[in-house]
Amino acid sequence: MSVPVAVAERMRSIDKSAEDTQQAPGLGWGALVALAVACIAIGAYSWSLIIRFGMQYTGLNRPVGWGVLITDFVFWVGIAHSGTLISAILFLFRARFRTAVYRAAEAMTVFGVMTAGLFPIIHLGRPWYAFWILPYPNQRHLQINFRSPLVWDAFAISTYFCVSAMFLLAGLMPDAAALRDGSQGLRRRFYALFAMGWRGTAEEWRHHGRAYLFFAAFATPLVISVHSVVSWDFAVSIVPGWHSTLFPPYFVAGAILSGVSMVITLLIPIRRAMKLEGLITMQHLDMLSRLVLLTSLIVTYSYSTEFLLALRGGASPERDTLLYRATGAFWPLFWLMVLGNCIGPLFLFLKRVRGSLLGLFAVCALVNVGMWLERFNIVVSSLEHNRIPFDWGAYHPRLAEIGITVGSFGWFFFWFLLFLKLLPSVSIAELKEEAAHDHHQEAAHAA
Amino acid sequence: MSGMGRRFFLKIASATGAAAACSPSHAPEMLVPLLNPPENMVPGKPLFYRTVCRGCGAGCGVTARSREGRVVKLEGSPDDPIGGGALCARGQAELQSLYAPDRLRGPLVRHGTELVPVPWADALAQVGALLGKLRGADGFVHGLRMLSRCEPGSTGAVQKAFVSALTPAAKARVVFEPRDLVCLRAANTQLFGKAELPVLDLSRARAVVSFGADFLETWLSPVEQARTFMAARSGADRPRLTWVGPRLSMSGANADDWLRVRPGDELQVAIELLRWLVDPANRVAHLAPEAAAIRAALPPSRMPQGISPEQIAHLGGELSVRRPSALLGPAALASGGGGTALAAAVQLTNFVLGNLGKTVLLGLSSEEDAPSAEEEVRGLLEEARRGEVKALFLHRADPLGKLPASARAEEALRKVPLIVWFGERLDATARLAQFALADHHALESFGDLEPRKGILELQQPALSPLWDTRASSQVLLDLAATLALPGIVDKDFHELSKSRWQAAAKALGAELDSPHAQRNVQARGIVVGRALAAARPLRLEALPWFLGTRVSPGDGLQLVAFATTLASADPEAPGWLREVPDALTGVSWSSWAELSPITAQRLGVKAGNLLALRTEEGATELPAVINPALHEGAVAVPQEAPELRALGAMGRAVRVERTGKTFALPLTGHASQEGRDLARVVPRDEEPKHDHDHGHKHERGGTLVPPHEHPKHRWAMSIDLDKCTGCQACVVACYAENNLPVVGPQAARDGRLMAWLRIQRSFESISPAAPAETRIAVLPSLCQHCDAAPCEPVCPVYATYHTPEGLNAQVYNRCIGTRYCANNCPYDVRVFNWADPVFVEPLQMQLNPDVSVRSKGVMEKCTFCVQRIRYAEGVARGEGREVRDGEVTPACVQTCPAQALVFGDAKDPQARVVSQQQDGRAYRLLEEVNTLPAIAYLARRGGGEP
Repeated sequence: MSVPVAVAERMRSIDKSAEDTQQAPGLGWGALVALAVACIAIGAYSWSLIIRFGMQYTGLNRPVGWGVLITDFVFWVGIAHSGTLISAILFLFRARFRTAVYRAAEAMTVFGVMTAGLFPIIHLGRPWYAFWILPYPNQRHLQINFRSPLVWDAFAISTYFCVSAMFLLAGLMPDAAALRDGSQGLRRRFYALFAMGWRGTAEEWRHHGRAYLFFAAFATPLVISVHSVVSWDFAVSIVPGWHSTLFPPYFVAGAILSGVSMVITLLIPIRRAMKLEGLITMQHLDMLSRLVLLTSLIVTYSYSTEFLLALRGGASPERDTLLYRATGAFWPLFWLMVLGNCIGPLFLFLKRVRGSLLGLFAVCALVNVGMWLERFNIVVSSLEHNRIPFDWGAYHPRLAEIGITVGSFGWFFFWFLLFLKLLPSVSIAELKEEAAHDHHQEAAHAA
Repeated sequence: MSGMGRRFFLKIASATGAAAACSPSHAPEMLVPLLNPPENMVPGKPLFYRTVCRGCGAGCGVTARSREGRVVKLEGSPDDPIGGGALCARGQAELQSLYAPDRLRGPLVRHGTELVPVPWADALAQVGALLGKLRGADGFVHGLRMLSRCEPGSTGAVQKAFVSALTPAAKARVVFEPRDLVCLRAANTQLFGKAELPVLDLSRARAVVSFGADFLETWLSPVEQARTFMAARSGADRPRLTWVGPRLSMSGANADDWLRVRPGDELQVAIELLRWLVDPANRVAHLAPEAAAIRAALPPSRMPQGISPEQIAHLGGELSVRRPSALLGPAALASGGGGTALAAAVQLTNFVLGNLGKTVLLGLSSEEDAPSAEEEVRGLLEEARRGEVKALFLHRADPLGKLPASARAEEALRKVPLIVWFGERLDATARLAQFALADHHALESFGDLEPRKGILELQQPALSPLWDTRASSQVLLDLAATLALPGIVDKDFHELSKSRWQAAAKALGAELDSPHAQRNVQARGIVVGRALAAARPLRLEALPWFLGTRVSPGDGLQLVAFATTLASADPEAPGWLREVPDALTGVSWSSWAELSPITAQRLGVKAGNLLALRTEEGATELPAVINPALHEGAVAVPQEAPELRALGAMGRAVRVERTGKTFALPLTGHASQEGRDLARVVPRDEEPKHDHDHGHKHERGGTLVPPHEHPKHRWAMSIDLDKCTGCQACVVACYAENNLPVVGPQAARDGRLMAWLRIQRSFESISPAAPAETRIAVLPSLCQHCDAAPCEPVCPVYATYHTPEGLNAQVYNRCIGTRYCANNCPYDVRVFNWADPVFVEPLQMQLNPDVSVRSKGVMEKCTFCVQRIRYAEGVARGEGREVRDGEVTPACVQTCPAQALVFGDAKDPQARVVSQQQDGRAYRLLEEVNTLPAIAYLARRGGGEP
């Protein structure tokens, strides 16, 4: 059977677009990388202050033991959620719109976990002993406490990182091989590293397909479990405002909301800058924005449940804490969160907004802000108003914490920018497969 | 070994050998044992010395615990009838004044505008030469004066001998005690003919009325009074305490009733109360026969503003039934005619009710060295101002820093050609001196003290002097020898003091015949003899004098100076006293001015706003604090505040304005407990008798994890809220025992104070309609050592765990600083080290070697003083027995003047703590979280019948 001209044309355009993204970077890219490195430097200096002089450089105090750093941790774990959701769960559900976006989303996941994983170390009083949280054999027979959610965290995050990294690398193999075959010298050796000796034989394709399916199945429960475990950091405690069985599903929905919004926030400028409009179409974005809308509704429902449960049944520390969250020192942040996470996404019911790049970008950027604030509100306001009113306190982030937050964005975008230029940000193989599949269906239909 | 050939092995071996040979050099560490170790000193074994606390005039006996030659802790001496084994916050902090970094390290002499170090021999020679020059033909230095703090012992005797040998002038030595109860002394002089202070025995009082006297904090002998009053309180017939005044002090917070009056109106309340009692219509039985004469002398009735005749009748009725009672007052800083009149009215009421000799004992006050009247101090300054004072000796007296600015002390002192100053740390006056001679600290000196009749306390050094200091009395003896003063034969102060105290001890009936008996007395550090209170007849002719005194408080705001148990406002106080927040307001490291919520609202003032205060004497600026327990006619300033000097005495009319500036006031503690009922009160008639549930009243829904096994001991505590006065002695004792760092004002602002134990104060039932209903509740908060501790499961590395003895232990070395345990602690008692602790040289010498100093990044908290538990267990094991009940006392329990804290083994059915925890008033904090704490609180008793 000969390949029709249209299909060949489509395949060539896919190749062309993908290869174009690998062209020598422009000045803008260089400037962005420099900016990211500068941010990392700020973050590193800020952390060095904490290491040298102690946590006094944060705004933490008694009673607020966790603040912006833990907020950042949960935020970045949340960002790391969409990738696996899009690649694994949507793969299992055969949701075709994932094809064009999953590679970028997966990369975001891996870099998100890489960023998130730093924070449990950064926020320690004695970060140089961070490895004590891992169960390693030692002659003093010191054990770790498997009852502690922080130990669960360490396992969940490291597992998630390994699986999502493997998932990304497995999917990358055929594309890396294609790029390897079309390049020379250092570039060729670089792609060869990621191609892992891929030759494109039928046998390899068969194994790859099976392995990919296996990873997808393996990663799917992780999407649910990782953020559930993170939520247990709070839910397992007895702090009013944290201690709630609602937290795991609520956090997973929130994570997907923030992750997908981050994907959209990143994809809109990327497809423009890298001229990928042909591959990442408005239809893809439309499907993603529906996901934002759905998870936003779940999150709104969770907020309401949380409040209704706390308000029911008279005076209690829970009620005081929740009311404080909405009306206390940080009330503007609470209502900004409601605006970003609950009200803004409602506009996505309108097809006009879903179809407008600007509208979509605005809604999703606001969700990102709102989701960061959600974690901030949960972490800080609950600790500020714990059970003993005498100790009610206030927390104001200090420069070192803000510096580390800035640094974490620098760190994330540094890797992401490298990824954009060095590896294919769309899956060439799967797009081609899809194009071929479309052709077959059309042919069958015609017949 | 296939990969390793012969040559490779040699390479490796030589390289490692070379590396080992040039390992980086370490500073040499000397571990040289003493060739001849001092007698009794065994490394790791504490030594105990008995001496006496000189923090205030009360004269509590203390035991100084010494380790390897350094004193690390002060504790009340159990043999002492005054302190009774307890010590207040200030007494605990005496240790920090010993190790104060700014203590003088040797004598100084003026060189131009500066004081520069000088050898002792030169300093003494120069003073001797100058005095020699001033000496007239008759051998006297006519313009010589001495200003000393009260020294009722050998030191005072040496001073008197020295001064009288050098000058014939009467009253050349003036005793300067700015905090002395001058009004009470003056009133006793008028009424009973003797300038004395009473000794209180509140254990017999069935009702106490305090007219502004903070008798549980600083007034007279606070440790003793807290003990005796609270002992009475725990009895079957709980005495009632009524507080009269514009401001609830911490003592007032313990009161059952508050008569909330304008500043100055206390006198009117006292007179109306007296009138009610002596009124035959009220038929009060067993009054003194002078009642009729007193009634005849009373001025016409005038009810103070805000007080109804019913309230007076209520209080009068209570006092007529509850006998004996005790009326106390006025506050230390009360002054002028109003203060003396109030003191007289109070004492007269005590007299009429027959309290004198029962609860208020006269004739026991030490006659050794009574403080001079204020006029004498001012007279001395006046002499100086006229240029008549040629040489002035100052012994631990700081008129410049302590007298109000209106006394113009600086102007006077600048006219004195020779000022010789003795003290430990340079104060305002020392900066004008020609010679600043460094004195020993009380813990480095010999001496003797008669704080009251029938009690002799020995001052004995607990460590060798840290610096090149000399006892001031020794310096005076040396000077006397140089000048060949007549009548002073002793050369050595130690010998003089010894012969003096031995004579005094013999007079008290002590056995001193053998060296063994002498050593016994020295080991006890105290001799207690018999002294009986004297009956004093009333001088009826004095009545018209004070009963005619009228104080008419103005309508504006008036200045109230109040005493605090700590010294947040005193820039010269040791770090512990400045850092531990004032219990009522929560302020540390700063002076402040208190306004009532109504006044604050009227002036538009918020906490932290800088206020401009102006009286007729001067003006100053102070940050505002809103105190719900303050009368709206008052502005209250702590008496330690240096700014108070500019404003003058108590009772002045003061104008308050906003400056528009704000001051970052280190302020901790939310004002209210938000209805959560943490510090509970049980009404008297609803008190349950016995509780078999050990205070665990909450439905125990069972736990998933079975409770811990405690094979031998389960350490537990009970805290009686009816006895806790909120004095914070326990807090400072905890700082001392457990090496808690002082972190300073900025950390205090940031909410990073390191205290393991805190007094949580809350203002309750505050309503603008009935401000007199304001109640203050206190709750000592420390680690509850829960059986189901929420902090334990969340620690990822097992840095915190439950010991087999029931302690919630914290392993500092294992802690990585996640702070999760602190977040999850419902009691907020865990403390994080935000920075490395700083102990300025030589404060590190105070550190307790039994407790590690924690580094930055680790969590810490109350350990129930595990080192003291281990010590007691070690002693018991050495004696081949079990630990006895009451043998283990954490520092807080040990020092509690009110004995509100009881510690013991919950597995010992005979233990006091078990019976306390079974009391009907017992409850556990936050029972709803089911943490099963080891600490039970005993609810405060409510008012009950009058």
